[in-house]
Amino acid sequence: MIQLTEETRESWHIVTVSGRADGEAAEALETALKSAVHAHARVAANFAALDYISSAGIRAVLQTARAAQTNGSEFAVCGLSAPVRKVFDMSGLHQILRIHGELPC
Amino acid sequence: MSQSTDSLLLDGKPGELSRLAAGVSHFCAEHALGEQAEFDLNLVLEELFTNAVQHGGCEGMSAAVRIELKSLPEGVFIEIADRGKPFDPTTTATPDLDTPLEMRQIGGLGIHLVRQIVRDLRYERVGGWNRLTMLRPT
Repeated sequence: MIQLTEETRESWHIVTVSGRADGEAAEALETALKSAVHAHARVAANFAALDYISSAGIRAVLQTARAAQTNGSEFAVCGLSAPVRKVFDMSGLHQILRIHGELPC
Repeated sequence: MSQSTDSLLLDGKPGELSRLAAGVSHFCAEHALGEQAEFDLNLVLEELFTNAVQHGGCEGMSAAVRIELKSLPEGVFIEIADRGKPFDPTTTATPDLDTPLEMRQIGGLGIHLVRQIVRDLRYERVGGWNRLTMLRPT
Protein backbone atom coordinates (compact mmCIF):
# COMPACT_ATOMS: atom_id res chain seq x y z
CA MET A 1 0.00 0.00 0.00
CA ILE A 2 1.35 3.41 -0.96
CA GLN A 3 0.17 6.95 -0.40
CA LEU A 4 0.90 9.60 -2.99
CA THR A 5 0.84 13.37 -2.66
CA GLU A 6 1.86 15.86 -5.31
CA GLU A 7 2.95 19.46 -5.18
CA THR A 8 4.85 21.93 -7.33
CA ARG A 9 7.80 23.74 -5.78
CA GLU A 10 9.56 26.26 -7.97
CA SER A 11 10.50 24.44 -11.17
CA TRP A 12 9.98 20.94 -9.78
CA HIS A 13 6.85 18.83 -9.62
CA ILE A 14 7.28 16.62 -6.56
CA VAL A 15 5.55 13.28 -6.08
CA THR A 16 5.91 12.19 -2.45
CA VAL A 17 5.51 8.44 -2.03
CA SER A 18 5.08 6.79 1.35
CA GLY A 19 4.35 3.23 2.46
CA ARG A 20 5.32 0.04 0.66
CA ALA A 21 6.15 -0.11 -3.06
CA ASP A 22 5.52 -3.84 -3.38
CA GLY A 23 3.96 -5.98 -6.10
CA GLU A 24 0.50 -4.83 -5.14
CA ALA A 25 1.31 -1.11 -5.21
CA ALA A 26 3.65 -1.02 -8.20
CA GLU A 27 0.97 -0.35 -10.79
CA ALA A 28 -0.43 2.65 -8.88
CA LEU A 29 3.12 3.96 -8.44
CA GLU A 30 3.95 3.61 -12.14
CA THR A 31 0.70 5.26 -13.20
CA ALA A 32 1.25 8.25 -10.88
CA LEU A 33 4.92 8.76 -11.78
CA LYS A 34 4.37 8.35 -15.51
CA SER A 35 1.50 10.78 -15.62
CA ALA A 36 3.67 13.26 -13.70
CA VAL A 37 6.54 13.03 -16.23
CA HIS A 38 4.08 13.41 -19.07
CA ALA A 39 2.55 16.53 -17.53
CA HIS A 40 5.65 18.25 -16.12
CA ALA A 41 9.14 19.07 -17.42
CA ARG A 42 10.93 18.34 -14.12
CA VAL A 43 9.69 15.65 -11.79
CA ALA A 44 11.19 14.48 -8.51
CA ALA A 45 9.98 11.39 -6.68
CA ASN A 46 10.43 11.98 -2.96
CA PHE A 47 10.94 8.55 -1.38
CA ALA A 48 11.91 9.77 2.11
CA ALA A 49 8.82 8.14 3.64
CA LEU A 50 9.02 4.97 1.56
CA ASP A 51 9.40 2.01 3.94
CA TYR A 52 9.95 -0.73 1.40
CA ILE A 53 10.55 -1.41 -2.29
CA SER A 54 10.78 -4.66 -4.24
CA SER A 55 11.69 -5.34 -7.87
CA ALA A 56 8.09 -4.48 -8.79
CA GLY A 57 8.57 -0.95 -7.40
CA ILE A 58 12.00 -0.68 -9.06
CA ARG A 59 10.40 -1.58 -12.40
CA ALA A 60 7.87 1.22 -11.92
CA VAL A 61 10.74 3.68 -11.37
CA LEU A 62 12.66 2.29 -14.36
CA GLN A 63 9.60 2.55 -16.63
CA THR A 64 9.09 6.14 -15.45
CA ALA A 65 12.74 6.97 -16.23
CA ARG A 66 12.21 5.55 -19.71
CA ALA A 67 9.00 7.50 -20.21
CA ALA A 68 10.78 10.69 -19.09
CA GLN A 69 13.62 10.04 -21.53
CA THR A 70 11.19 9.53 -24.41
CA ASN A 71 9.24 12.58 -23.35
CA GLY A 72 12.31 14.79 -22.91
CA SER A 73 11.45 15.57 -19.30
CA GLU A 74 13.74 15.39 -16.29
CA PHE A 75 13.15 12.74 -13.62
CA ALA A 76 15.01 12.53 -10.32
CA VAL A 77 14.66 10.40 -7.23
CA CYS A 78 15.34 11.81 -3.76
CA GLY A 79 15.49 11.05 -0.08
CA LEU A 80 16.11 7.29 -0.20
CA SER A 81 16.45 5.59 3.18
CA ALA A 82 19.44 3.25 3.57
CA PRO A 83 17.50 -0.01 2.95
CA VAL A 84 15.66 1.44 -0.10
CA ARG A 85 18.94 2.84 -1.43
CA LYS A 86 20.45 -0.64 -1.13
CA VAL A 87 17.77 -2.06 -3.48
CA PHE A 88 18.39 0.76 -5.98
CA ASP A 89 22.12 0.01 -5.84
CA MET A 90 21.67 -3.76 -6.19
CA SER A 91 19.44 -3.09 -9.22
CA GLY A 92 22.07 -0.89 -10.86
CA LEU A 93 19.76 2.12 -10.93
CA HIS A 94 22.36 4.50 -9.50
CA GLN A 95 24.03 4.38 -12.93
CA ILE A 96 21.00 5.49 -14.87
CA LEU A 97 19.03 7.75 -12.55
CA ARG A 98 19.60 11.05 -10.86
CA ILE A 99 19.52 10.16 -7.19
CA HIS A 100 19.69 12.95 -4.65
CA GLY A 101 19.99 12.85 -0.89
CA GLU A 102 17.83 15.92 -0.65
CA LEU A 103 15.03 17.24 -2.78
CA PRO A 104 16.53 19.08 -5.74
CA CYS A 105 14.30 22.07 -5.20
CA MET B 1 5.89 -24.88 15.56
CA SER B 2 9.06 -24.76 17.64
CA GLN B 3 10.12 -21.67 19.52
CA SER B 4 12.41 -20.39 16.79
CA THR B 5 10.42 -21.31 13.67
CA ASP B 6 7.57 -19.52 11.95
CA SER B 7 5.63 -20.95 9.06
CA LEU B 8 3.17 -19.46 6.61
CA LEU B 9 0.94 -21.01 4.00
CA LEU B 10 -0.09 -18.65 1.19
CA ASP B 11 -2.60 -18.87 -1.62
CA GLY B 12 -1.47 -18.06 -5.14
CA LYS B 13 -2.83 -14.52 -5.33
CA PRO B 14 -1.10 -11.13 -5.15
CA GLY B 15 -3.23 -10.05 -2.18
CA GLU B 16 -1.29 -12.49 -0.01
CA LEU B 17 1.67 -10.08 0.03
CA SER B 18 0.20 -8.20 2.98
CA ARG B 19 -0.17 -11.46 4.95
CA LEU B 20 3.41 -12.28 4.05
CA ALA B 21 4.62 -8.87 5.29
CA ALA B 22 2.65 -9.29 8.53
CA GLY B 23 4.15 -12.76 9.06
CA VAL B 24 7.69 -11.48 8.48
CA SER B 25 7.10 -8.55 10.81
CA HIS B 26 5.84 -10.90 13.54
CA PHE B 27 8.85 -13.21 13.10
CA CYS B 28 11.33 -10.31 13.26
CA ALA B 29 9.72 -8.84 16.38
CA GLU B 30 9.77 -12.23 18.08
CA HIS B 31 13.46 -12.74 17.35
CA ALA B 32 14.59 -9.14 17.89
CA LEU B 33 15.76 -8.81 14.27
CA GLY B 34 16.43 -5.30 13.02
CA GLU B 35 14.91 -3.23 10.22
CA GLN B 36 17.40 -4.27 7.55
CA ALA B 37 16.80 -7.96 8.30
CA GLU B 38 13.05 -7.46 8.08
CA PHE B 39 13.41 -5.54 4.82
CA ASP B 40 15.65 -8.24 3.29
CA LEU B 41 13.35 -11.09 4.36
CA ASN B 42 10.34 -9.29 2.90
CA LEU B 43 12.17 -8.64 -0.33
CA VAL B 44 13.48 -12.20 -0.78
CA LEU B 45 10.11 -13.76 0.03
CA GLU B 46 8.08 -11.34 -2.09
CA GLU B 47 10.31 -11.95 -5.12
CA LEU B 48 10.14 -15.73 -4.81
CA PHE B 49 6.41 -15.76 -4.03
CA THR B 50 5.66 -13.44 -6.97
CA ASN B 51 7.73 -15.59 -9.34
CA ALA B 52 5.78 -18.67 -8.30
CA VAL B 53 2.45 -16.89 -8.80
CA GLN B 54 3.21 -14.99 -12.02
CA HIS B 55 5.51 -17.41 -13.82
CA GLY B 56 5.24 -20.73 -12.00
CA GLY B 57 1.54 -21.35 -12.58
CA CYS B 58 0.53 -20.91 -8.91
CA GLU B 59 -1.98 -18.17 -9.78
CA GLY B 60 -5.33 -18.99 -8.21
CA MET B 61 -4.03 -22.12 -6.44
CA SER B 62 -4.94 -22.42 -2.78
CA ALA B 63 -2.14 -23.24 -0.31
CA ALA B 64 0.30 -22.82 -3.20
CA VAL B 65 3.32 -21.53 -1.29
CA ARG B 66 4.72 -22.68 2.02
CA ILE B 67 7.30 -20.61 3.88
CA GLU B 68 9.35 -21.48 6.93
CA LEU B 69 11.70 -19.15 8.73
CA LYS B 70 14.15 -20.16 11.40
CA SER B 71 16.34 -17.83 13.43
CA LEU B 72 19.90 -19.21 13.77
CA PRO B 73 23.06 -17.66 15.22
CA GLU B 74 24.50 -17.19 11.69
CA GLY B 75 21.32 -15.68 10.23
CA VAL B 76 17.79 -16.51 9.20
CA PHE B 77 17.29 -19.85 7.48
CA ILE B 78 14.58 -19.55 4.81
CA GLU B 79 12.67 -22.35 3.19
CA ILE B 80 10.09 -21.59 0.53
CA ALA B 81 8.24 -24.26 -1.43
CA ASP B 82 5.61 -23.92 -4.14
CA ARG B 83 3.38 -26.27 -6.10
CA GLY B 84 4.08 -24.58 -9.44
CA LYS B 85 5.83 -26.01 -12.46
CA PRO B 86 9.49 -27.00 -11.99
CA PHE B 87 11.70 -23.92 -11.88
CA ASP B 88 15.27 -23.68 -10.63
CA PRO B 89 16.20 -20.03 -9.96
CA THR B 90 19.79 -20.99 -9.14
CA THR B 91 20.43 -21.48 -12.88
CA THR B 92 18.89 -18.28 -14.31
CA ALA B 93 21.15 -15.77 -16.05
CA THR B 94 22.25 -12.65 -14.21
CA PRO B 95 20.78 -9.49 -15.77
CA ASP B 96 23.29 -7.07 -17.30
CA LEU B 97 23.06 -4.05 -15.01
CA ASP B 98 25.46 -2.00 -17.13
CA THR B 99 23.08 -1.88 -20.09
CA PRO B 100 21.79 1.61 -20.95
CA LEU B 101 18.30 2.54 -19.79
CA GLU B 102 16.54 2.12 -23.13
CA MET B 103 18.04 -1.36 -23.59
CA ARG B 104 17.42 -2.71 -20.10
CA GLN B 105 15.39 -5.88 -19.84
CA ILE B 106 12.61 -5.58 -17.31
CA GLY B 107 12.54 -9.21 -16.17
CA GLY B 108 15.02 -11.18 -14.10
CA LEU B 109 15.58 -8.47 -11.51
CA GLY B 110 13.74 -10.22 -8.66
CA ILE B 111 15.92 -13.32 -8.68
CA HIS B 112 19.00 -11.13 -9.04
CA LEU B 113 18.04 -9.26 -5.84
CA VAL B 114 17.45 -12.57 -4.01
CA ARG B 115 20.91 -13.80 -5.00
CA GLN B 116 22.49 -10.57 -3.77
CA ILE B 117 20.93 -10.92 -0.34
CA VAL B 118 21.10 -14.62 0.52
CA ARG B 119 23.78 -17.27 0.42
CA ASP B 120 23.67 -21.07 0.10
CA LEU B 121 20.67 -20.88 -2.25
CA ARG B 122 19.67 -24.46 -3.03
CA TYR B 123 16.90 -25.90 -5.17
CA GLU B 124 15.28 -29.28 -5.32
CA ARG B 125 12.10 -30.69 -6.79
CA VAL B 126 10.35 -32.89 -4.22
CA GLY B 127 6.97 -34.57 -4.70
CA GLY B 128 5.43 -31.91 -6.95
CA TRP B 129 6.96 -28.99 -5.02
CA ASN B 130 9.79 -26.62 -5.88
CA ARG B 131 11.78 -26.34 -2.67
CA LEU B 132 14.31 -23.58 -2.10
CA THR B 133 16.48 -23.14 0.97
CA MET B 134 18.86 -20.29 1.74
CA LEU B 135 20.41 -18.22 4.51
CA ARG B 136 20.07 -14.51 5.02
CA PRO B 137 23.30 -13.94 6.95
CA THR B 138 23.28 -11.88 10.15
